[in-house]
Amino acid sequence: MSDETVVSLENVEVHFESEGSILPFGGDSEVVQAVDGVSLDIPENDVVALVGESGCGKTTLGKTAIGTQRPTGGAVKYKGQDVWKANDGEGDVEIPFEEIRQSLQIIHQDPGASLNPNKTVQHSLEAPLKLRHGEMDTFERRERIHEMLSRVGMEPPEDYAKRFPHQLSGGEQQRVALIRALLMNPDLILADEAVSALDVSLRIDMMDLMLDLQDTFDTSFLFISHNLSNASYIAGKADGRIGIMYLGELVEIGPIDEVLNDPQHPYTKALMWATPNLNPKADDGGSSPLRKIDVPDPRNPPTGCKFHTRCPEAREACTGEMPDATDLGNGHEVACYRADDGHDYWSSPELADEGDELTGTADESTAD
Amino acid sequence: MTMQQTHTAAVDDPIFEVRDVSVSFDMDRGESRVLDRVDMDIERGEILGVVGESGSGKSMFASALLDAVVDPGVLTGDITFDPEDGRRIDLLDRDETDIKDIRWRQIAMVFQGAMSSFNPTMTIEAHFRETLSVHDYDVEAGMERARQLLSDLYLEADQVLGSHPHELSGGMSQRALIALALVLEPEVLVMDEPTAALDLLMQRSIIELIREIADERDLTIVFITHDLPLVANLADRLAVLYAFEFVEVGPSDEVLTGAKHPYTRALLNATPNLDTPREEMRPIEGSAPDPVNVPEGCSYHPRCPLADDTCIREDPPLTDDGDDHAAACHYVDRVAEEVPLTLQEVTVDE
Amino acid sequence: MAEQNSSFSQSDGSAGGQGASRADLYREWIDMALLTPIRVAWDDWRTQVGSIIIAFYLLMGTVGVALVEPPTQGQGPRLTPAFQDWSVPLGTNDIGTSILSATVHATPPMLQMIAAGAVFSTAIATVIGTVSGYKGGLTDRVLTTFTDIAMTIPGLPLIILLAALFDPSNPALIGILITINAWAGLARSIRSQVLSLRDHSYVEASRIMGAPTRRILVDDVLPNIMPYVLINFVNSARNVIFGSVALYYLGLLGGTHENWGIMLDGAYNGGAIYSLQVIHWLFVPMIAIIGISFGFVLFAQGTEKLFNPRIRARHAETVEDDTAPYQE
Repeated sequence: MSDETVVSLENVEVHFESEGSILPFGGDSEVVQAVDGVSLDIPENDVVALVGESGCGKTTLGKTAIGTQRPTGGAVKYKGQDVWKANDGEGDVEIPFEEIRQSLQIIHQDPGASLNPNKTVQHSLEAPLKLRHGEMDTFERRERIHEMLSRVGMEPPEDYAKRFPHQLSGGEQQRVALIRALLMNPDLILADEAVSALDVSLRIDMMDLMLDLQDTFDTSFLFISHNLSNASYIAGKADGRIGIMYLGELVEIGPIDEVLNDPQHPYTKALMWATPNLNPKADDGGSSPLRKIDVPDPRNPPTGCKFHTRCPEAREACTGEMPDATDLGNGHEVACYRADDGHDYWSSPELADEGDELTGTADESTAD
Repeated sequence: MTMQQTHTAAVDDPIFEVRDVSVSFDMDRGESRVLDRVDMDIERGEILGVVGESGSGKSMFASALLDAVVDPGVLTGDITFDPEDGRRIDLLDRDETDIKDIRWRQIAMVFQGAMSSFNPTMTIEAHFRETLSVHDYDVEAGMERARQLLSDLYLEADQVLGSHPHELSGGMSQRALIALALVLEPEVLVMDEPTAALDLLMQRSIIELIREIADERDLTIVFITHDLPLVANLADRLAVLYAFEFVEVGPSDEVLTGAKHPYTRALLNATPNLDTPREEMRPIEGSAPDPVNVPEGCSYHPRCPLADDTCIREDPPLTDDGDDHAAACHYVDRVAEEVPLTLQEVTVDE
Repeated sequence: MAEQNSSFSQSDGSAGGQGASRADLYREWIDMALLTPIRVAWDDWRTQVGSIIIAFYLLMGTVGVALVEPPTQGQGPRLTPAFQDWSVPLGTNDIGTSILSATVHATPPMLQMIAAGAVFSTAIATVIGTVSGYKGGLTDRVLTTFTDIAMTIPGLPLIILLAALFDPSNPALIGILITINAWAGLARSIRSQVLSLRDHSYVEASRIMGAPTRRILVDDVLPNIMPYVLINFVNSARNVIFGSVALYYLGLLGGTHENWGIMLDGAYNGGAIYSLQVIHWLFVPMIAIIGISFGFVLFAQGTEKLFNPRIRARHAETVEDDTAPYQE
C-alpha cells in the first residue's frame, strides 16, 4: 500500500430523477439519492471493498469512481485531476480525459454478458491492446494474449484464443474479462460483484488470481459485493479496507480485520449476523436484530440517520441529522452517534416502534 | 454406478423414498445424464439441505421429486411418497397417480425468482383465490389462512394482497410466494434457491422464517442450494451432490465438522466465510464434468488427491458405517489426513 | 499512466510467436471472414434454394437479356398459348409480343429497382436507428422526430404524388421513390433494439475502454441487429417488387421500359382473366413476381444463422467445436 491516491471521491452526490414511470404509482418526478455525500480515497495498488444491500448505492458509487457516472454534486479526482473538468475541458487540464478513461476499468458481474458473443476471445482481447498499445503489430498482440491466457491458467492458450464466449465456462469467461481489463494497464478496476455469479468453489480461485495479477500490473481494485464473506476474503488477503454502505451513505469504513472484529455501526453488526458461517458450534445470533425487515423506499428515505427506522439502538437524537464520520483511529471511521461518548444521543429517549415489530413498510411499495 | 445394496443413511420414517432415479437427455453430443441413479430417503418433518454447485444436478432433483422434468428429459426409477393419510403413492406411476392432485396440495414448490412465478397481470389476491379454487378448497377459509400466513411472514396482508407482483420488492414477493405455497397446507415444501436473488439481511430473515414455519406446521422441507453456509444452520441433514450423484449424506453437524467425502471437505475449504483463516483456504483444482462425459469409476477421481486405480475402475457406492452418515468414497478412513479441514482447526483452537 | 510491465518482454518486432506465421494468420482470417460464413449459409436448404432462385434471376437479367430478343410487336401470331410455338415459347400477347421476351427484359430494371430501393431504405434506417438509439440526447430527439414525420406521411399517396410529379424513368430512382418513407418503421425498431443493447455489459466495457463510438457500433452493436436488418432488407426488396408492379399496373409510371406490372395491366385489360386460352399472359408475369420474392425470403431465412456465433463456431475449421460446456 503506498500513499499515492489513485482516485479520490470528495463528498460525491448522485441524484437520479425518475421521470414518472408508466406504472400509475409514484406520481410525478421523484428524486432518488443513490449516493448522498460520500468521500473515499482509493490508494495505489490496494483493495477497497464496498459492501451493502441492493439500493445502497454501491454500484453507482463504483461507477462514479471509474468515471462512468457523472456525479450531481461533489468531485471525483484521478491523481489530483478533476475527472469531469477534464472531460468538459474546463480549467487547467493536467491529465486529459482519454488517459483517465483508459486507466479506469471494469469487470462485470455476469460473465456471460461481459464478452461480445460474436467475437472470439482473441478478437475481444485485441481491442484493449489496440487502444493502449497501438504500436504493437498482430503477432506481438497474439503473443501477449497467449501469455496472459496461460498466466490465468487457460492452457493451451492458442486453443482458448480462438474460442467464442459460449464455448467457455463461467469461470473462464470471467478470467477473460479480467485479462481484458488488465490489458488496459489500468490504475483502478471496478470489480462489480465480479465473483457473485461464479460457483462457490471457483470464487477463491478468481479472487486469488485478481490479487496475484494486481501486483504485476500495479492496479487497485474497488470490489463491490453484497456478500460479506467474499469481500472479507479479498480485502483481507490484500490487507485492504472495507466500506459499508446504506441508502447512499458510507456508514463505516476501516481496515478489514478491524471492522470485522470490532464493528462499530449497528448496520455492520446486522450484516455480520446475516452472513451465514460454516461453524455449527458458533452462536448463530438468534433472531433478527433489526426492527424492520424491509429496506425503506430510496425515493423517500428516513430523516436524520437513514438507518434509524431499523436500528436496534435508535433513539430520538438519530432522527434529526445524519451523523458525521467519527475517526476512531487507524483509518477506522464510523457514522454513528454512539461513537461519540459525549453526544446528546446518550440522554435521548429510545424510539418507540409504530405498531408491530418487523412489519414490512406500510406506506410505499419498494422496488429492489 | 450405485450397486444394489446401498445404505442411503436410512431414515426411520421416510416421507419420500427415492430409488434408482435418473434423468437423461438425448443430445447431439451423446446421452446426457443429469441425475445418475440416485437413492435418497427423506425423513418426515426434517429439513434436508441438498447442496450442489451449478451443473451438479440439483435442480433436476427438485424436478424429479415433483415429476416435473421437462421434455425431452426422461425420468426413470421409483419415487414413493408416503403422506400422513397413509396411502403410499408411487409418484412416477402415471396411471395410478394423479400428480396434479398431489402437486401443490401435498407437495408444494418455491423456486428462485419469485417475480417470474407470478402472473404479472393478476393481483396477489387473485393468485391465492385461483389456487384455492382450482384445487377445490373453501376459498374464504383459504383466504383467512392466507392472511395469517402473510402476516406470519411479516407482511402487511392487505397491502400485499392488493398489489401486483411488480409492485412488491424482491423480498416481499419471495415471501408472498412462500405463503402461496403454504396456503393449501402441504406436507412437503421443495425449495430451489428460494433466497438466491435476495439481499443478505432478507436472506437471513427468510431462513429464520422458514425455520419457524417448519417447526409450527410440521413440514418436511427439501432446501436446494449451492450456498452451503446458507443452509448449514437450517438443515437437519445435508446431502451433497457432485456430478449428478449424491456423494455424502448425514446430519449437518457431522457433515460440517467431519465430512467424509473429499469433495465435501474440499468444498468446505474453498467456501469463503468469515471464520476460516484466509491463508488456509484452498480452491478446488479442475472443474465439474460435463454430463455427456462423466469420468469412469468415481466421478470425482480427476480432482481427488486420494485417487488411485481402484477409484478409476470402480464407482464407490454411498455407504455408511451404520451411523447415518454416508459417503461415496473408497477411502473414507484416509480422508481426514489427506484433506484437512481448515475450519476444524479453528474450532479446536477455540 | 501505469507503467509498462517489465515482466513481459518487449517484442523485437520479428514475426512469429509460438508457431503462428503470416500464412497461418491469413488462412485463419479467410476462414473466419469468408469461408465459414459461406459454409454456414450454405448449410441451410433455404439458403441454397434462395440463392439458386436469385442467381437465376440475375442470370436472366444479364445473360438472358443478351440471348433473348427484345420484345416488339408481332414476334409471333397474336395470343398464341404457351408451349406451342417454340419461337415464342411462352406464348404471345394481344399484339404478338413474345411473353418470354417481355418477361426477361423486364428483369434488369426490376433488379436495379430492388437493389437501389432495398439498399437505400435499409441503409438509412440502420444508420438513423443505430445512431439515434446509441447516442441518445439531442441527436436522438432530432432523428426520432424526423423519423416520426416520415412515418406519419401516408406512404402510397406520397409515392403516387411523387411519381406523378417527377415521372422518373431511371429504375434506381424509382426504387428509391417507392421506399421513400418505408425506412421509418425499420429505423424505429432498430432504435429500440439498440437502446437495449447499449446497456449490455460488453458494450459498456467497450465504452469504458475508451473505444471510439464508430468502433463500438460496428463491432458490438451491428452484429446483434444484423438478423433483423437482413429480414428488413428482404421485406424492402419485396416492397419494391410489389410496389413497382402496382404503380405500373395502375399506369402511374410511364411505359419507358418493360415491367411485369405492365404485363399484368395489359393482360387484365385484354381480358386474360376470362379465358383459359390466354391465361398464360397473366400467369407468366405473376410467377416471375412470386418467384423472385420467394427467393429473397428463403435466402434471408437461411442467412439468419450467419449471425449466430454458436453455429459459426461449429462450422469454422480453425475453431474446435463441441467445446460448449454444460449449462444447467
